[in-house]
Amino acid sequence: MMKIKSILIATMAIVASAMTFTSCSDDDDVENNYTAYQSAVDTQVQAQKKNSKAILLVAFGSTWQQAYDAFDTTLAEYKATFNGYDVYFSFSSAICINRAAAAENTAARNFYAPNFWLHALGNAKYNEIIVQSMQVIPGEEYSRVINYIKDFANNSLGDLDDRYLSKVTLKLGTPLLNNVEDVANTARVINSLYQAQAAKGVVAFMGHGNPDSYDTYKANIRYTQLEEALQTYSPNYFVGTVDMPGNYKQDVLERMKEAGINSGTVNTYPLMSIAGDHAHNDMAGEGEEYWDASEEDSEDNSWYEFFTHKGYSVKSNLKGLLEVSQIRQLWINHTKNPVELEDYYHSMYPEE
Amino acid sequence: MNARKIVLLVFLASAFVVRGFAQNSVDTLREVVITGTGTEHLLKNAPVQTEVISRRVLDSFGAKSMEEILGSLTASFAFNEGDMGSQMQLNGLGNSYILILIDGKRIHGDVGGENDLSLIDPHNIDHIEIVKGAQSALYGSDAIAGVINIITKKHHDEGLYLENVTRYGSYNDLRQHNGIGVTSGKWSSMTNFQLQHSDGWQNTAEEYTEAMVVNDSRNKTVNKFTNWQIAERLTYQPVRNVDLYADGMYYTKGIYRPQNGRYPSCDVYTYDLMYRNASASVGGKWKVNTSGVVTFDVDWNKHAYYYMYTATTLTDGYDPNGNFTNYFPYFAGQKNLQSDQQRLMANLKGVFQLPYKNQLSAGLEYRYDYLNAPMRTATGTADDWTCALYAQDEFDWVKWFNLTTGLRIIENGGFGFHVTPKVSTMFSLGDFRLRLGWSQGFKSPDTKQLHYRYLHTMGSSTFFNMGNTSLDAQTSNYWSAGLEYRGERLTISATGYLNVLDNMITLVNVPVSEIPKDVTTSYLGDGSGEVVARQYRNMEDTKTYGVDVNVGYKINREFSLGGNYNYLDTEAHVYNSDHNRLDKVTIDGMAHHKWNAYVVWSHRFVPVYKLGLNLSTRGSSERFYQNNGNGKPFQIWRINTTHDFGREEKNTSYRVEMGMDNILGYVDRTIHPHHLGTTNAGRTVYATFSIKFRQGKRFINLISTKKQTDYDED
Repeated sequence: MMKIKSILIATMAIVASAMTFTSCSDDDDVENNYTAYQSAVDTQVQAQKKNSKAILLVAFGSTWQQAYDAFDTTLAEYKATFNGYDVYFSFSSAICINRAAAAENTAARNFYAPNFWLHALGNAKYNEIIVQSMQVIPGEEYSRVINYIKDFANNSLGDLDDRYLSKVTLKLGTPLLNNVEDVANTARVINSLYQAQAAKGVVAFMGHGNPDSYDTYKANIRYTQLEEALQTYSPNYFVGTVDMPGNYKQDVLERMKEAGINSGTVNTYPLMSIAGDHAHNDMAGEGEEYWDASEEDSEDNSWYEFFTHKGYSVKSNLKGLLEVSQIRQLWINHTKNPVELEDYYHSMYPEE
Repeated sequence: MNARKIVLLVFLASAFVVRGFAQNSVDTLREVVITGTGTEHLLKNAPVQTEVISRRVLDSFGAKSMEEILGSLTASFAFNEGDMGSQMQLNGLGNSYILILIDGKRIHGDVGGENDLSLIDPHNIDHIEIVKGAQSALYGSDAIAGVINIITKKHHDEGLYLENVTRYGSYNDLRQHNGIGVTSGKWSSMTNFQLQHSDGWQNTAEEYTEAMVVNDSRNKTVNKFTNWQIAERLTYQPVRNVDLYADGMYYTKGIYRPQNGRYPSCDVYTYDLMYRNASASVGGKWKVNTSGVVTFDVDWNKHAYYYMYTATTLTDGYDPNGNFTNYFPYFAGQKNLQSDQQRLMANLKGVFQLPYKNQLSAGLEYRYDYLNAPMRTATGTADDWTCALYAQDEFDWVKWFNLTTGLRIIENGGFGFHVTPKVSTMFSLGDFRLRLGWSQGFKSPDTKQLHYRYLHTMGSSTFFNMGNTSLDAQTSNYWSAGLEYRGERLTISATGYLNVLDNMITLVNVPVSEIPKDVTTSYLGDGSGEVVARQYRNMEDTKTYGVDVNVGYKINREFSLGGNYNYLDTEAHVYNSDHNRLDKVTIDGMAHHKWNAYVVWSHRFVPVYKLGLNLSTRGSSERFYQNNGNGKPFQIWRINTTHDFGREEKNTSYRVEMGMDNILGYVDRTIHPHHLGTTNAGRTVYATFSIKFRQGKRFINLISTKKQTDYDED
């Protein structure tokens, strides 16, 4: 019996010690993570710094290879164009940043978030920084770009050199369709590219757009303005969106019908900087997965299936705007003619 | 998790050893069940229809997990083991509507409504009782689709009990179980250890991504995982009619995702998942006299869920100034608490024999839930409480008629007052039983649905998900009618059921202006708005109905066969967030027909050797889904052989099991991410070696199980 009791005690001792072993802390020390991460970006900037002026390109980001290729081409072209500037590329989507950096069997890419890049550029004491928005319209995403600049200029973390900040020149490269003049320029370039197609059939662009609930800066109006501008060249141009109320594919169809276009070819193009999910699926998706006849206007129905079922012959074109050199040039022109930022606290584009 | 600690624990535990398989070949006629009424009844006479997976069946089947047990030995369950959990369904309803009990106590913790079934050690199960339909009058929240009660093995005999089970199979699948039981006088201790590991598998490398099909995706069908658990239970009997106990448990699980992905759009991950559970409870049982039993339990449970980063990851957090940011960095090796669910329950219950053939069960229950979710709630934490009073009367009015009625009265911190009744009747005629029942079920909104408040990014969409403190409980009405014959050799039953659920909670799009003012600035920048706002609402309803048929036939002591069939249909009104309306749909994962069948044979050739064979099959018709295609129908065959060495009456006994799952090697290779009918890996083999020892000298166990892999890739 004594033996059994001692086994019992031994068992309890083992269990107690096992529980002690395993009850390690719930909390990792992450206090210094932010500064550690920042210093990694600082190190990269210091290693790359060749000039006293920098350009930071800010895109939402993507996880698609085709998009990476477009970003690579853009970055290379910027580097070639802007002598005397160091050029950096940034994503604003955390998930896109994380995954691009972690992929094992493909080139790892560091698209740091804009705030870290800006902070590192500040630490590296660049005299001039141009932040170029890679957005199409001055909408929701663009408002975030402005916020990053505000935070930087206001030394939001308090650890940048204030004297440096008071002297640094900050400039903002605006989105592709920033104002009415941009709309006219873009329409002219688009027409030069696609006028042959527009002569024979519809050329329809699919933009993203902002939903009603947050049509930041009322930027959705640019899509309507672009269609108007394009139609001065040819009545066969149309511009619709994924998210802008009143300008979905069915609204594009309605306008086509009003214009008397009831058949023929519809050439579709993404009006987005890259051709990712939206372009490949929402615009060009083919097959029964992209067509629900019981609800033709469903946003799950692709433009391809929608216009095909409406009796048109659809030709999907899957190049993002950054893959078209003439359009890339428009962004580059914005970077060449940036807006000087002096008062960071005003919303810059309250539209009428 | 530290592998060395595990090895050490396994070694320590298996340095002791084990004894004879009590051949608990309990005659089904003498099987006692408790789940349907909370009181003990012979299975045959249980007022509420109860399905039992017996020790004998479990011993002969040789399962590695709860998923395998429920998916193979009943026809009512369906699984879709995936990245994040088992995706269990019972008669069409998901895990969040199924109450799982271990020895009558509710399992704790979920991720996305899925319980972690690995908390249950398959080698420590005595038997399983399944009661379908609403059982909330007796068990409270969640008992809507049914109750699964896992009855664990108990060892009350004086002396020492040691047990080692090691099971090893294809895909580096290891299941380890150790039990050490010591009973001395009034004291008794039982220590259990279990470990489960699998390397996971990949049924297809084809994946649809970036608008094309890639054929080298690294995504697995079932991810690699490791979990282990240690549990201790002490019991003390101060006087003959009083039993007291204290127990505790620690558990941890890691789910490891591919780290060699090449497509950031689909197979690149920057974190693994980790769970940590712990529990402690005390309680007792007092036999008041021959006519009454009083039990009490106080039970604390914790379930913490972490991301374990495998690469640098930016996520929501607070910058050094304490301002919210989407870009707080974590580095490989660090972990980040997602949620820590804790629960404290106290239960006082009495069962009394009353005059005129009445048996009364009555109880009081208090439950307190606490949620710590630093990035997902307004203040980082949230809580909720429920008090309940319940009573049930079993009335054997005449010999051939039993009427059982029950009522639970609930007061909840959020939804307030609620009442849940049940009525069941049983008519007996010889070996026939006719059972008719109506019961209500409910499910309290959980602390997440009440209090979550977090930004959720899915692909390129961003949502602000909000809890809703004005949620009502989800409710259900369940009707069933069953006829059963339970004779010496033949058992046959058929049960029809209809389960109607209402007030089901789902995330519904709401105007951005409903995002609380105090978080507007951080989430909406200039007040212009950036996200889709969603809030939990009582919106959806569901109807499930069907028939269960169970047949068992015992040809002789050595030879038996049987099978189960389940017919199911569903109608649901599910919220469509694209169009802000309810759509009438079938429930995702529903199959009209599911079945299983088995033949079991055993024979003791010589006094020291007994052979057992178990050939079984299970199958399902097409499983329906709203998106990403339907799951293909499947039928899978399995064989298990058991080899018992040693005489039944000896202290030490040995068992070897060898088996092959999916003998015909059927693999569903449907392209990812389309739905699979079954995630089964194809033909797999395994071997198990067990030693059990009772009250004897020390013994060194040799873990001598041989790895056998015979996976056939077509």
